[in-house]
Amino acid sequence: MGLYLAALGLCAVAAAAGALLPRRRRVTPTALLGALGCLAALTAALRILVTGDAVTFHTAQVLPLTGLSLSLDPLGAWFVLTSAFVGVAACVYLVGYAREGLASRTAMAMFMVFLLTLVAVPAASSVMSFMFFWELMALSSLLLILADQSRHPEARSAAIWYGVMTHLGAASILLGFLVVAAGGGQSFSDLSAQSSAMSPLARGIAFLLILLGFASKAGAVPLHVWLPKAHPAAPSPVSALMSSAMVAMGVYGIIRVGRDLLHGGSVWWWVVVSLLGVASALYGGLHATTSTDVKRLLAYSTIDVVGLVLIGVGAAGALGDSGLGSVAHVAMMGALLLVLAHAGFKGALFLAAGAVERATGTRDLDLLGGLIHSMPVTTLVVVVGAGSIMAVPTLSGFSSEWLLLQGLLHGFGAASTPTVIVVLLGVVALALTGGLTAVAFVKLVGIGFLGRARSPGAAKASEVSMSMRVAMIWLTGAGVVIGLVPGLLVAALDRAAATGRARDAATGLAHGTGLVLTGLHGAIAPAALLGGLVVVMVLVGVLNQRATQRRVRRVEAWGCGRDEQTPRMQYTATSFAEPLQRVFADVLRPQADIEVTHVAESRYYEQSLAYENRVVDVVEARGYRPIIDGVLRVGRGARRLQNGSIHRYLALGFLALLVVLVVA
Amino acid sequence: MSTTYVGVLELAAGAVLLSAVMTLWRRSVRAIVSMLRLQGVALSVVAVDLALHEHEHALLATGALVLVVKGVAIPALLRRIAQRDPRSRESRPLVNVPASLVFAAALIVLSYVVGTRITALAPSVVTNLAPLGLATVLVGYFMLVTRRHAVSKIVGLILVDNGIALMTFLLTSGVPLIVELGASLDVLLVVVVLQFLMVSMRHHSATDRLTEMKALHD
Repeated sequence: MGLYLAALGLCAVAAAAGALLPRRRRVTPTALLGALGCLAALTAALRILVTGDAVTFHTAQVLPLTGLSLSLDPLGAWFVLTSAFVGVAACVYLVGYAREGLASRTAMAMFMVFLLTLVAVPAASSVMSFMFFWELMALSSLLLILADQSRHPEARSAAIWYGVMTHLGAASILLGFLVVAAGGGQSFSDLSAQSSAMSPLARGIAFLLILLGFASKAGAVPLHVWLPKAHPAAPSPVSALMSSAMVAMGVYGIIRVGRDLLHGGSVWWWVVVSLLGVASALYGGLHATTSTDVKRLLAYSTIDVVGLVLIGVGAAGALGDSGLGSVAHVAMMGALLLVLAHAGFKGALFLAAGAVERATGTRDLDLLGGLIHSMPVTTLVVVVGAGSIMAVPTLSGFSSEWLLLQGLLHGFGAASTPTVIVVLLGVVALALTGGLTAVAFVKLVGIGFLGRARSPGAAKASEVSMSMRVAMIWLTGAGVVIGLVPGLLVAALDRAAATGRARDAATGLAHGTGLVLTGLHGAIAPAALLGGLVVVMVLVGVLNQRATQRRVRRVEAWGCGRDEQTPRMQYTATSFAEPLQRVFADVLRPQADIEVTHVAESRYYEQSLAYENRVVDVVEARGYRPIIDGVLRVGRGARRLQNGSIHRYLALGFLALLVVLVVA
Repeated sequence: MSTTYVGVLELAAGAVLLSAVMTLWRRSVRAIVSMLRLQGVALSVVAVDLALHEHEHALLATGALVLVVKGVAIPALLRRIAQRDPRSRESRPLVNVPASLVFAAALIVLSYVVGTRITALAPSVVTNLAPLGLATVLVGYFMLVTRRHAVSKIVGLILVDNGIALMTFLLTSGVPLIVELGASLDVLLVVVVLQFLMVSMRHHSATDRLTEMKALHD
């Protein structure tokens, strides 16, 4: 516990340093302190995952009345590991990034507070401690979204969306905890003991309320609307933290409360979770393919991945309740490994997006291109990240999605029909989003980094500072290691996934470099796969050289016989996604406007032609707009009371006083 | 218990309420300010009478403070505002004078109905007078709502404060000096600020009537 507490302390000191140090000496010491704190948390979490012993800590200080209770078990440690892993990168990245913007007192201090809460939330072991860190996390991230608002005016509206959604979510979580805690006591162990005695209905209500809050934080459709606004608006290291660590906290909450505190409950709970997952995976994947803003694309792909994780968590819950504990364990391991892998590649991708924005001044894919020449390191990071998220074998996304798929495929033998349907839907969603993700990320790499520059900004781009590159490489490198030798994490993963459940000794993963399921059929060895791949590629290359002894001729690709080629003639992100947008027009509902201005003299000649194509979030437009409009109408109605007459205001007050006197 | 003490107490407390009702009746701003002075003096008499009976020196000091601030300083300040325009009158109140008096009667009845529940907690000669304080508060608030002239509004506000002071004197046998000092000086400050505001208001719009300021909102 000592090391973990030291990590929290270091983050707190970093926050203080960010708030107190003078501007010139603020960024580097603060960021390094934060990185040190994250490293300490990383080590502490690893130690707990290796030994499997939970550590606890309680102090009467910090919080009034109840004090602060922390307890780190392997499940919590897994999420601490995830946060700290990205946290280190975000802090290092900050050294180079903060010089222009984000160096203000508030931003630096809030960044470190955000980091602190991300490391602390999975360890909170009482309702008060949990809600304290949870709300602090929401508050600090809200302020960080606003940190760059002078450059991104849309950050204001994004912050309002995020603030409202996270506030409603927190209220819902608190209500759910209240239902469970009705019998008294507020520590998680009290709650766990009481929930066994609750009626199934009350437990179901509590779970739904809590699920609502956590799912909105995780960005599950239809509670995701804040996410594609907030993640792009926030400064890049913050987006990286939000997307890889904060969103994972929602998943953590669902696992912790559903499996641990409420003991699994009924199958339908997990059916709901899985359906949320399926909806998120498909919806996120679809929108990612049509987004042209790099960070918006990444944000939607986060929704997609969270959907996959929720499918795994839901399937694990449903299978566990249907008597297939061993398969459930595999699905849960898949979900947890995906959380960690996602943190690695999505963190790296967001940091790379920040680097691209820094270097070119834009995030619009239709204005980028050709960055592979000017920003080789960033391009490499993006290519590896894109490969991971597409689950290219030997990269980290592959191992985790493989485990997830194994869990689902072996679940077809479940006795209960709802479980089989959930599993079936999960497999279909996994397959379909795999394809959608591939489109989205081929687009990201192909349009954004290959080809020729589409704008002066992209043409003048140069590689970003050392610290930013180091941060991206740290995440990418660790991701590659996880992908190549997933066996390293097997023991830790096993412990984390088994938390809160009776351990089923018969199945799991054999120790080794690859993943070998024991008790079920299935094994992969990514390192051997990579070896084979390299051998095959070398062979093909050599044979190709032998067979084709032709002179290489260099010409412009797709020249079509024209003399002058301009970058505007290239394929764009919008045109790349256009066929898919057409196929899914019923879901995406794209809107296109063509505005033609004619020359005054003749209607046969056009002076200018404007075309606009946009894809709005259907859930937001159909689900949230009517509610917002209704609230605004009520608000405008209330303005009728406020007509500026001081007599009326005073009379209302007087009337209220009289009513209180008479009624009381 | 001496009958003089009770008699003086009842007389003074009654005078506080009576002067409050009188402010509703009179239209001339100068007359309204005189009523306020009367009320301030009556309030200090309540405090001093209680202090002499209970041998509390702190309460005696409070009484003196009330006399200085509410009996002398505030009325003097308001009189100075009123003298800038000697013929200034509360010409068209939102509720006319006879109706106001009927309302005041109703408010006094209401405060007795409500106040008996408070006095029932610790019935004594002194606490039985507490509804008078409540009635003064309500009458003051009523004045604040229905009168248009700025000075009338200030007076209404002070009536509310005096009513609260009367209630605290009667129910708690006097508040600590420091509390009363804070409250009184607050009110004095409010009057000074409002005086300043009124001067600039008159300077800008040549009127004291708040209704005509309505166009300024938004």
